[in-house]
Amino acid sequence: MLTYLARRLAFAVATVLAASVVSFLLVHASGSSPGAITAGAGASPAQVAAENHRLGWDQPLVTQYLTWLGHAARGNLGVSLIDGHNIWSDLLNRLPVTASIALFATLLSAIFGVLIGVAAAVRGGRLDRLVSVGSGVALSLPQFWVGILLVYLIAIKWHLLPATGYVTFSASPGQYLQSLALPVITLAITGTAIIARTTRTGMITALRQEHIRTLQALGTPPWRIRYVHALRFAGGPVVSVLGIQFIALFGGSVVIEQLFALPGLGQAAANAIDNSDIPAVQGVVIIATVVVVITNLVLDLVLAALDPKVRTA
Amino acid sequence: MTAPSSAGTPSSSTAPSVPALSVSGLVVRYGRAGKTPPAVDGVSFDVAPGETLGLVGESGSGKSTIGKAILGLQPPAAGQVLLHGTDITRASLRQRRAVAIDLRVVFQDPYSSLNPAQTIGQTLQEPLRVLRVPKEERTRRISGALTAVGLPADAAARYPAQFSGGQRQRIAIARALVCEPQVIVLDEPVSALDLSTQAQVLNLLADLRDNRQLALLFIAHDLSVVRFLAQRVVVLYRGQVMEAGPVEEVTQRPGHPYSIALTAAAPVPQPAEQARRRAAREALGVGTAGAAPPPAAGCPFAARCPLATDICRAERPPLVPGNGTSAAVACHHAGEAAGIRLPGVAA
Amino acid sequence: MTASSGTGPSLTTAAGPAGPPAAEGRRRSRLPRAVRSAGGALSAAWLVLLLLGSLTAPLWEPYPVDDQEPLHTLAGPSGSHWLGTDQLGRDVLTRIAAGSWISVGPVLLAVAVAFGIGIPLALTAAEHGRWVERGSSRFAELLLALPSVIILLAFVGAFGVHPWAIMTVLGVLLSAPVYRIFVGQAQSVRTLLYVDAARVNGVSSLRVNLRHVLPAMATTIAVQAAQLFAIGILIEAGLAFLGFGPSVPSPSWGGLIADASQSVYTDPWLMVPTGLVLALTVIAANVLADTVGGERERERKRAAAARRAKRRAARPVVAGGTAARPASMTAGPVAGTVAAADPDALLDVRDLTVAVADGPALVTRVSFGMRPGAVLGLVGESGCGKTITARALPGLLPEGVQVAGGSVWFAGRDLAGLPEHQLRAIRGREIAMISQEPMVALDPVFSIGYQLTQPIRRFRGVGRAEARRIAAELLGQVGITDPRRVLRSYPHQLSGGMAQRVCIALALTGSPRLLIADEPTTALDVTVQAEILSLLRSLVKTTGLSVLIVSHDLGVVADLCDDVAVMYAGQVVEAGTVAGVLGQPSHPYTAALLGANPHVAEGLPVPDRLPSIPGTVPAPADWPSGCRFAGRCALATAACADPVPATRAHGAGPGGTGIVRCIHPLSPRQEPHQAHGLPVPRPVEPGVTS
Repeated sequence: MLTYLARRLAFAVATVLAASVVSFLLVHASGSSPGAITAGAGASPAQVAAENHRLGWDQPLVTQYLTWLGHAARGNLGVSLIDGHNIWSDLLNRLPVTASIALFATLLSAIFGVLIGVAAAVRGGRLDRLVSVGSGVALSLPQFWVGILLVYLIAIKWHLLPATGYVTFSASPGQYLQSLALPVITLAITGTAIIARTTRTGMITALRQEHIRTLQALGTPPWRIRYVHALRFAGGPVVSVLGIQFIALFGGSVVIEQLFALPGLGQAAANAIDNSDIPAVQGVVIIATVVVVITNLVLDLVLAALDPKVRTA
Repeated sequence: MTAPSSAGTPSSSTAPSVPALSVSGLVVRYGRAGKTPPAVDGVSFDVAPGETLGLVGESGSGKSTIGKAILGLQPPAAGQVLLHGTDITRASLRQRRAVAIDLRVVFQDPYSSLNPAQTIGQTLQEPLRVLRVPKEERTRRISGALTAVGLPADAAARYPAQFSGGQRQRIAIARALVCEPQVIVLDEPVSALDLSTQAQVLNLLADLRDNRQLALLFIAHDLSVVRFLAQRVVVLYRGQVMEAGPVEEVTQRPGHPYSIALTAAAPVPQPAEQARRRAAREALGVGTAGAAPPPAAGCPFAARCPLATDICRAERPPLVPGNGTSAAVACHHAGEAAGIRLPGVAA
Repeated sequence: MTASSGTGPSLTTAAGPAGPPAAEGRRRSRLPRAVRSAGGALSAAWLVLLLLGSLTAPLWEPYPVDDQEPLHTLAGPSGSHWLGTDQLGRDVLTRIAAGSWISVGPVLLAVAVAFGIGIPLALTAAEHGRWVERGSSRFAELLLALPSVIILLAFVGAFGVHPWAIMTVLGVLLSAPVYRIFVGQAQSVRTLLYVDAARVNGVSSLRVNLRHVLPAMATTIAVQAAQLFAIGILIEAGLAFLGFGPSVPSPSWGGLIADASQSVYTDPWLMVPTGLVLALTVIAANVLADTVGGERERERKRAAAARRAKRRAARPVVAGGTAARPASMTAGPVAGTVAAADPDALLDVRDLTVAVADGPALVTRVSFGMRPGAVLGLVGESGCGKTITARALPGLLPEGVQVAGGSVWFAGRDLAGLPEHQLRAIRGREIAMISQEPMVALDPVFSIGYQLTQPIRRFRGVGRAEARRIAAELLGQVGITDPRRVLRSYPHQLSGGMAQRVCIALALTGSPRLLIADEPTTALDVTVQAEILSLLRSLVKTTGLSVLIVSHDLGVVADLCDDVAVMYAGQVVEAGTVAGVLGQPSHPYTAALLGANPHVAEGLPVPDRLPSIPGTVPAPADWPSGCRFAGRCALATAACADPVPATRAHGAGPGGTGIVRCIHPLSPRQEPHQAHGLPVPRPVEPGVTS
């Protein structure tokens, strides 16, 4: 178990490094350079070159990368080329926004998805058909389109919730939740559909297993068979999908944050790329990757804990 | 630990000829050395041309692994496999195309040994295409093989799903025959079949044994089936040879405690006789299968053997001819083993 | 030509080939599975229409793409503009059609790239053993961990907006999940024996992959491709929505939605057609995925079977008969069975019929009985219905199969008519069951201790500590020497024999009166089998347990059982004491089974060829109304085409409980071996003893 942990940790670090290399290479492959940004539009090539030299852009690639890596390891991701803000602290402030949305959406999807999926698997019949069709439609709808429609209906027409903007938890818990409500609901529609399907399939597969026959032959009450044994058996795939959900929400938050004007990582990424803000681009890629990697690690640990073959190895 | 000598050579009256298949000192491991004992640990035997040799053992005996190693599906860690004198031990599957043309296989499971998406004809054609046999010749050989196994020629146009388990096993045998091989490895070919179907396929194999000069390596777990089909038999336990010799000797007068236990364990459909066998078997006092862990050295059966002493747990017994028998036995107490042999209890 | 041609007489009829093909084979439908259902056909049609429409748009569009009508902005649907106009007065239908290709085409490229990289990598990794597979898997995990949307954006930032190039990069990123899915699939296909056979036959590795591994994965590939396509469309639309799609004014679906969102507060209609076309395309792709995967078909069959089962269950089952039964089953009262209600009988099965709901019967009018403390063997080959019969007793039939007639008297009650909750009370407490594969019969995620203590607590109402003590005691009773260690273990840590012992202990937790053992030793080695049989025998002796054992092995029956019932094609063809039936078989099939056993009694020579029965067991749908064995029997006459009653058998021992279902039963004089090759013997006249 311990060697398993150590191996996963080592791999996680390697992944973050790989992501940093990829983003580093991408920004260097692009046409722009930091000097062009800081010197401003209309600057002469000589001025641009001077800026690039000042910023160390003309050094060998490996040196640049290692310097950057050295700084990043100590929490220094540089400053924005556009407005000079500290990238690290900016991203740190933005992290809770994206994380909140991803977490709440995943939580909501998990609760409703599992409930619906189990009900569909156990009851069968018309409920099952409804869930199948409904979830099929729900996960086909583009999230931003649904988001806009929800904003129109709930915020504009019925004035139930604020359309855009974000309020931090410390400022006002109530408004914090309200500002997150619409984006979370939008994301949770797709999420619930996916989790419901996975749970349903998992339960149906579980109920077909031979050890369920054994439990039936012992006269075990049906609730125990379904909610202790079958659900546990279906747990693995569901936890996997939940983890993938969270990661997808994290990485895909760009669109949602744009739509709902939320100051999260996605917005930072979109801005940085729009403005060719090179250090910001690298910074956001690193932070996002670190979060994904940590999630994967936690996911792996949970799955390993659920699987007796790994636990007893 | 003395290396076991090659056992069970044909009786000395025949002229020394190159064995069709010769395995010596074969060792096969799954996983790293030292972590677990090898699946096959120093096994040697020969199959003469036209002879049927039975390889008998329970699960964990290594019999299937030996088959895989001979066929090139599992690389051996040590030892040698000779086909008509040619060394094919480490030959890759690519190299085998040239060298092992004569070596074919029939597997156990009739349901997964035929590609469900291909017709029988396509399945039977495949080995011939590899050998670049021209088309007319291919058709001739395919219909010949189908006839030899008792199937109509129009079976070639059908799919495996349209045949029963016994018929599929015949198709698998036809696939082996279509290349006109000299050696066929049969890995438990009747174990998955019903009793009546098994009888049909065994009769077919007996026909092939008699009418063609085929060397057959027949891997099985059922001693009475091996007695029906084979001329000699090798008994395996945990990757080592326990006993080897003519099939009548080993099945009727087993010389190794494990062979005695094995013959006594298989139930027979006559209740009175079975009651006698059961009583005799229980009197043997062989230990339970799963209870003790495998010993690190010495005889692998020592943990369960009623005759086991310290030497059995320390030193691996060599495979030597027994007293007054043409079979070879790997036991430190072969003489006493003959003594505990159960009267009237045979495969 | 029979297999035993020319080498001696056998219990066969006229020679014929080794049986006709088992089934005429499902006629392979000409249409691909995708379009066989309405949903699949519609989805495929939608996608094709979309692509064709978009590529041919310049030919049929009612208005030029950029044609603006400043006076008709944001109009709703009308005769001249079927889907209305946008904020610059451009025709929405035209723009949607024109934008389709650029929204869908690059996604097709992404899918092609993803599979083009992922599949060959998966095939190679599956073929080449641990190190290659580990390396590729690590690489794939790496790709999977990168935040794909952000990477894509970075790519856009670096190189600008080029939809085809961006989608290629997406394809590379998506090749990782494709690899992950298919490396597992390829590995499992490679364990199939036909792949090994091809490799042994020298087939090149490329050909093995193309002709054997890939076709086996074809369905999954199609399903995953459709799903990936759906995901890709959504990602692409999202990028376009953000402004990273094809540049204005060239329309794309995401861009159209972005435009529409500008005026959603004033004129929300514009959102509808733009979003719908996107949603419908994704739905079509997902429906196609489901249809191709056969999920729909399976679901429909499941639902239909469940409905039929519900309808059947609602109809009352009358003991002894239901409405629609073929003539053979209404043959008169059976003579010589345990017809007189034996008051001491623990189990009395009468005329049990089990059928597929709205389908053929699997077991017809089976009758047998058991006294307390006896062991009865239900023996036969695969397809004879012995397992179904055994499972019907405690009401544990699979979905879609149910009792269609007869009664199961157990301790004074007819189990066949009992509702489920009453049956549940009996299971475990009175009737317990063990099955063939002990390793999968135990729950893999719970410890043995948990799995044993739960039913103990339920049955005996004791606390946790006491239950654990009882559990250890039960494990000792089934011959496990270290109960404490086993209680802490998980099923995967046990050997087959130990697992079966645990299953037997589990069955004993409720102190049942009857244990049904469904082929309990078939999956075990012969030495382990001997131990388990000894265990069962000692349990019978010490606890008075009755055992009904289902087996295909006559030796097992001879070892363990007092009585035996031989089944063939859903019927009991012979029953009686083990000594009677196995020593002096009356039914030709029983004799043939005994003859087909390669073991010969001591002193007798090994036969040159085994007597074999030609042909195969008929499927339930093909059962004749007369004797079902007649087609393969050497003693068959014309009279065998009529329904055959079960009659009293000779030499069945005192009490006359032996029966045989044959009008030419073998006379007791004939040794089983000698039965083969004799001319048609005289039938035994009732009342004539040997």
